[in-house]
Amino acid sequence: MTAVASESEATFAAQRQAELRRRALAPWILMLPALLIVVIFFGLPMLLMARMSFNLHIDQRLYVPGFTFEHYVNLFSNPLFTNAIWTTVQLSVLASLATVFIGYVFAMLVWLKPPRWRLLMIGLALCPLLISEIAIIFGWWMFFPKNGLLSFALLSSGLISDKISLMYTEFAAFIGLIYVTLPFCFFILLSIFDGLDKRLLEASADLGASPVTTFREVLLPLTWTGILVAFSQSFIWTIGTYATPSALGPDTLWTMGFLIQEQMLGKHNWPMASAFAAVLVIGVACVMAITRSMQSKRTAFHA
Amino acid sequence: MVAPALELRNVVRRFGSVVAVNDVSLSVARGEFLTLLGPSGSGKTSTLRLIGGFEDLNSGAILIDGQRIDHLPAYQRDTATIFQSGALFPHKTVAENVAYGLRMRKVAPPDMERRIAEALDVVRLRGFEQRYPAQLSGGQKQRVALARSLAVRPAILLFDEPLSALDLSLRLQLRAEIKRLHDELRFTAIYVTHDQGEAMAMSSRVAVMNSGRIEQVDAPEKIFHAPASEFVYTFIGESCCLPVEVGPSGVADKSGALLPLHLGQSQPTGKSRLYVRPSRFRLAAEAAALPNRLRARVHFIEFLGDVYRYHLKAGALELAADHPGAIGVKAGEEIDVGWRNEDMSVFR
Repeated sequence: MTAVASESEATFAAQRQAELRRRALAPWILMLPALLIVVIFFGLPMLLMARMSFNLHIDQRLYVPGFTFEHYVNLFSNPLFTNAIWTTVQLSVLASLATVFIGYVFAMLVWLKPPRWRLLMIGLALCPLLISEIAIIFGWWMFFPKNGLLSFALLSSGLISDKISLMYTEFAAFIGLIYVTLPFCFFILLSIFDGLDKRLLEASADLGASPVTTFREVLLPLTWTGILVAFSQSFIWTIGTYATPSALGPDTLWTMGFLIQEQMLGKHNWPMASAFAAVLVIGVACVMAITRSMQSKRTAFHA
Repeated sequence: MVAPALELRNVVRRFGSVVAVNDVSLSVARGEFLTLLGPSGSGKTSTLRLIGGFEDLNSGAILIDGQRIDHLPAYQRDTATIFQSGALFPHKTVAENVAYGLRMRKVAPPDMERRIAEALDVVRLRGFEQRYPAQLSGGQKQRVALARSLAVRPAILLFDEPLSALDLSLRLQLRAEIKRLHDELRFTAIYVTHDQGEAMAMSSRVAVMNSGRIEQVDAPEKIFHAPASEFVYTFIGESCCLPVEVGPSGVADKSGALLPLHLGQSQPTGKSRLYVRPSRFRLAAEAAALPNRLRARVHFIEFLGDVYRYHLKAGALELAADHPGAIGVKAGEEIDVGWRNEDMSVFR
């Protein structure tokens, strides 16, 4: 009797073990398709790029396997490259701050205004996403030059007395970057605002808080996460982008994106370009880690 | 003469072409618990939001303790609102939520500690200070909202349907708790609800609102027993409507058959609607001695728990009469139904 019982107990335990194994495996199997795509299209190229950055660059040849830190040393010692890093970081931080600010105000207005304006505003915000970056750049080429729309508008409104051109200035590059990232910022922030109860503003006023205090005490803390997410996405986009700053900025505006392109296609220095790109990726990862750590530790209230 | 705690003078609020609050005047004494009762769209919430400062009035005046406040923004008014959703700050703890209004009023820290503790004591939520709203149940949230408003000791407490999002048993429990708090603290309260049970149970006076106007302001008993209008009569409690025609020869139903009813002398001739509450009908032998009596056929019978409801047809009239026990009649059989003169209301 006992032998039979212990035998059935043993098979039961074995079955249970198998069941547990199956359960542990299930999420991996379910994730497999997505995992494959990520590994093949993102993971492998990144690895190849990282490997490439340690390759030798001899006689303008594209691919000379080897191992050297030469390109990284060059990157951080040559003022041409360090200046480019500094310029790009500056430009994209400023552009991202401006984007977040404009996007925040815009999203807040859409959230506060009656719903009948909502569709129109969202439609407007979607417009830039329907046009390719290159087409948008052509648009700016009609807007910024001496005989462009901006000059004409300022002249006919009497604000300036002579035609001006803002084409090929850092300001034009700055505006161009804001325009490209603003829609993303706006939608991220709008989704955060839409998650808030508007009665919270009334409750705050009701308890004696002025609009400024209500903003500081209620709105800002509750949208802080959204601000950080919007900022990081805007920063990631602007620091890596190539077309807009190159096409709208001055010839002297050497961004990281421009230099990577230059090293790759102009100088045939693929290892250098790879090293540059690797630094860019690591830099972006660091910024994301920092913004993440700035998010509220008190996540309990999101439950 | 002491100025009333709250006074509304000919207050009007329009939304586009819709008049949400139409010439409302109201006076509330200190310590009074006044309920604004009405169906949705009757203007009760708009009235409350006008008092709180969340809407601007188009004309009229609002006074607290004799001072006009309708030009002040919400944050400068001495009112505190308990919202339907609670509207607790989700990123602040219970204690921080209750402290919010005190901080805005620049209450000194030692005083503040004491008042937070007091307010949480009053709503029986001591020990929950460090919790976040997401960690509380629906009823607990509303009690924190109540504590947050009580802590600032406002001139007027405004309740915007605070219980309507809760389930029934919790609603009854919190209703009793708010009533107990009012008996203890004697705050002045304006309470908006569409639930007549809540209105009757809690209020010192009830203002029944309909399409932007106040139809009647009275003690709950008066509202129930002496409704000023047909709307109040039909909105409060259940009622059974008998459409009749008053002619020179007496009262007739719409088919013209004369009815043995006693409406009193002064009834003008023409179409009238006669109302009796289902609980006031008497059936069978109990109806024998009553002045108003009809012979009716039982249409069908519903069991409602406390009572049986007899759906009756007397000629062209349809009646619903409640009786505590089953009387031995079945659907299709005939029965006497009667009522006293004072249980009948006539509107035309």
